[in-house]
Amino acid sequence: PLPPLTPLPSSPLQDIRNTVGNIPMEWYQDFPHIGYNLDGKKIYKPIRNKDELDMFLEKMENPDYWRTVQDKMTGADIKLTDEQVDLVHRLQKGQFGDVHFNPYEPAIDFFTHEVMIHPVTNRPADKRSFIPSLIEKEKVSKLVHAIKMGWIKPRKPKDDTPTYYDLWAHEDPNSILGRHKMHVPAPKMKLPGHEESYNPPPEYLLSEEEKLAWEQQEPVERKLNFVPQQFQCLRAVPAYPRFIHERFERCLDLYLCPRQRKMRVNVDPEDLIPKLPKPRDLQPFPTTQALIYCGHTSLVRCLSVSPSGQWLVSGSDDGTVRFWEVSTARCMKTLPVGGVVKSIAWNPNPTICLVALAVDQVVLLVNPGLGDKLLYGATDQLLESFVAPEEERVQPVRWMTATAEEHGRGIRLHIQHSKPVKQVTWHGKGDYLASVVADHSNMQVLIHQTSKRWSQNPFRKSKGLVQCVLFHPIRPYFFVATQRYVRVYNLLKQELTKKLMTNCKWVSSMAIHPGGDNIICGSYDSKLAWFDLDLSTRPYQLLRHHKKALRAVAFHRHYPLFASGSDDGTVIVCHGMVYNDLLQNPLLVPVKVLKGHVTTLDLGVLDVLFHPTQPWVFSSGADGTIRLYT
Amino acid sequence: NAKVVTALYDRRYAVEDVPFSVPAASEITDLSHLINKLLAASSADHKYVEFDFLINGQFLRMPLVTHMEMENISTEEVVEIEYVEKYMAPQPEECIFHDDWISSVQATEEWILTGCYDQTAQIWSLEGKSVMKIAGHTEVVKDVAWVKQDSLSCLLLSASMDQTVLLWEWNVEKNKVKALHCCRGHAGSVETIAVDGTRTKFCSGSWDKMLKIWSAVPTDEEDEMEEAANRPRKKQKTEQLGLTRTPLATLSGHTEAVSSVLWSDAEEICSASWDHTIKLWDVETGDLKSTLTGNKVFNSVSYSPLCRRLASGSTDRHIRLWDPRSKDGSLVLLSLTSHTGWVTSVKWSPTHEHQLISGSLDNIVKLWDTRSCKAPLYDLAAHEDKVLCVDWTEAGLLLSGGADNKLYCYRYPATASDVGA
Repeated sequence: PLPPLTPLPSSPLQDIRNTVGNIPMEWYQDFPHIGYNLDGKKIYKPIRNKDELDMFLEKMENPDYWRTVQDKMTGADIKLTDEQVDLVHRLQKGQFGDVHFNPYEPAIDFFTHEVMIHPVTNRPADKRSFIPSLIEKEKVSKLVHAIKMGWIKPRKPKDDTPTYYDLWAHEDPNSILGRHKMHVPAPKMKLPGHEESYNPPPEYLLSEEEKLAWEQQEPVERKLNFVPQQFQCLRAVPAYPRFIHERFERCLDLYLCPRQRKMRVNVDPEDLIPKLPKPRDLQPFPTTQALIYCGHTSLVRCLSVSPSGQWLVSGSDDGTVRFWEVSTARCMKTLPVGGVVKSIAWNPNPTICLVALAVDQVVLLVNPGLGDKLLYGATDQLLESFVAPEEERVQPVRWMTATAEEHGRGIRLHIQHSKPVKQVTWHGKGDYLASVVADHSNMQVLIHQTSKRWSQNPFRKSKGLVQCVLFHPIRPYFFVATQRYVRVYNLLKQELTKKLMTNCKWVSSMAIHPGGDNIICGSYDSKLAWFDLDLSTRPYQLLRHHKKALRAVAFHRHYPLFASGSDDGTVIVCHGMVYNDLLQNPLLVPVKVLKGHVTTLDLGVLDVLFHPTQPWVFSSGADGTIRLYT
Repeated sequence: NAKVVTALYDRRYAVEDVPFSVPAASEITDLSHLINKLLAASSADHKYVEFDFLINGQFLRMPLVTHMEMENISTEEVVEIEYVEKYMAPQPEECIFHDDWISSVQATEEWILTGCYDQTAQIWSLEGKSVMKIAGHTEVVKDVAWVKQDSLSCLLLSASMDQTVLLWEWNVEKNKVKALHCCRGHAGSVETIAVDGTRTKFCSGSWDKMLKIWSAVPTDEEDEMEEAANRPRKKQKTEQLGLTRTPLATLSGHTEAVSSVLWSDAEEICSASWDHTIKLWDVETGDLKSTLTGNKVFNSVSYSPLCRRLASGSTDRHIRLWDPRSKDGSLVLLSLTSHTGWVTSVKWSPTHEHQLISGSLDNIVKLWDTRSCKAPLYDLAAHEDKVLCVDWTEAGLLLSGGADNKLYCYRYPATASDVGA
């Protein structure tokens, strides 16, 4: 029991009791009084006018200063008595306040744990304390039953999920967090060299001219971005004048630093090139010039070869058509026709011996009289067996039989057009013949039937300047190449089937694969477009091997070869394998550049043609020769 | 200077069978000098002879050491170098001018028969005198052949692009020629003919892919033509040209034109074609015996009974040698490569088992020895245009005709040692 801390009356005059109670005395901070006495009079705060010096002097002089405390309630100074000081000391030590209290009095053991020889009760142990409890047994059997029935699980299955897991194990590196991983280390700074020294060797100092040159250079072009300077000692080195500027530029650099990391794909450029077989694995193809067919005196515009492959016919600007023996380059016949031969076509039917040629405005049908006598005899008979229909039909052209003199030279029929004829081509069966007229009207393309001497104009409207036409080798399709497009018409249904975009400026020539599903187009802008008709109306591949305009393209009838002739005087032979498997795209490999023709008048090769059975290619040039490459 | 010990031996110019050490850098002339010195030492009346040297059946054409390096022969061992007398160069004899390209030539001991693009066959004497001009074909004459030769009359054949073969009888004394038979049946130009060993049959090959065998014996009867219902105009022509003859047998199997045909045996025909094959036929049965497959068009084929090899010229630069009896079909034994154009014509030497002659579109005729396949023995570069035909007679006459309208004759002296070989 603590004795109440009663303020001892320091003087009998003053019994000041503050009646405000246990309140924070700060409330009276701003007031002159500090509370109220028993009579309800204000207790005023004692006047404290001691300055620091007075305080210090008092501290030094008053021996009881250390036991003087201020009474918060009255604001008066109280001097603690010795008992009070002693009590404070005891409390500070954690001892009981009462001096006389003994915390270590001896304990009296009322309820002992020791077994006494004379127990309070001598009752024997209950039976139930040593036989199994029925209640417990019942409880256990209930639990066992519940476990057997699966109502309760005997042991909780252990939770395998780890308590801790790798938070970033499956993180997407491209996500925002993943970006932190891609730390781009700052490039290493170059270590300072001699020129950065405050006292560099004299060879590092710039001379006057060098300094002038340095000043005239663009800041980005300078090799050094400072001028090396020499100082006597380190003390003489001034503050770095460009410090702020440099920090600023550094901040600008950081601001403009690309934050996007450029992912470089590690690809060997060789892998991007498609794997093409080596040309020598694609034999046979023509490789060397074997024969030159000389005789024409002007440029040879067109070539055609007999279906047997024994004869070659060529038309030239010198107004003649020449027939050659393929194997010896012997000119067997020369037929003057009196005009530039623009196009020539040997009838592809092996049972008919007939050559169609376009001279000015006339298409001439010529029996060359070469090969089997029976065949060309039969051809003549076939032409003579024509009986004119009773009523004259209106035709866009005029059919005329040749005069006796012309007949002797081999000419059988004239088909007189109204405009110059550009091209003639036969249908595969050898009865129909298509001709292209240089015209802008709808009369550009005409189809003639030789046996009936009947011509018709298949198109009502002109779709542009027709460059060349072609019959499909198997199906009743007809290809018309205008300057930029190739239109495929179905002759039976008489409708447009397809329109192929060539991506070329000006188509010059066209050839069809013997299978009939692939077309190549040569153009004057030195491109060759390969179309897969099943694939798309755009080129499957665009080959730009020639340096100048392409004049002619050709397919081989059996071998997977195609060739193109160009104004640069070369013939390029390519391997063009078409697979029966629809899933496999054609394989195009350029295999050989054949040179030989001399470029004259800026014209090189004017026509190319494959031998029908051998892997040989003929080319006719502006130099008046025909060359055979084998 | 490696030590090469050589054992040299020969038949006529025999020297002792003792190994010699020869400097490795020595060439043909050095070796030749060495042999001549040895021969002069053994016999006093020895005249200088030039020799050619063979190592393992290959002609020495460069310094010894390079040759042995190329052939992988060790210079440490004793190497046998065989030597033969150097073949003399063919001596030019005649140049016979024609009016047009010469398509074919065949010569005998007395006469030369040529086929010409001016639709005639021509007979020349060996001195180059025109003896006879046989006109009758309506197209280019593609091949000619002698059938029989007597002092009085000769039988000869000419094949033409007009699809016929004409059998002519040439009376030598009167110098008259008469068409005995006109062999009709081909449906394309007849490219080649060959007469068999008994001189009673001949075979023709044509652009119509057929081989036809005909009788070469003149008769007075005319075979019946199946297509006799021809127009009378055509009939008239046939009457002028003698009696019509039809083929004894037709061999079909080629898929392209037949370019060359020959009798390799009494009953065996060998034909070369544009379909890249050489086929061997049994004449008795008309069956195909075997096929040799190349990869180029064959222009010409020749057979040598001496070495039993076929030589073929094709539309590339190589002359290929074939063994017709090889079972695996397409074995090329050797290629002779030196031409720069198509080889249009090849002909084996009738007397020498190793030598052959070839004509090419590069205007050069080459004389080959099969023991030197890299380089020919001699180049005969007289032609100014394509060489189309060559021939080699038993008397040692080399003939070549071409597109420059000239027929060149060379005398090729076959040395005695060659004959012995």
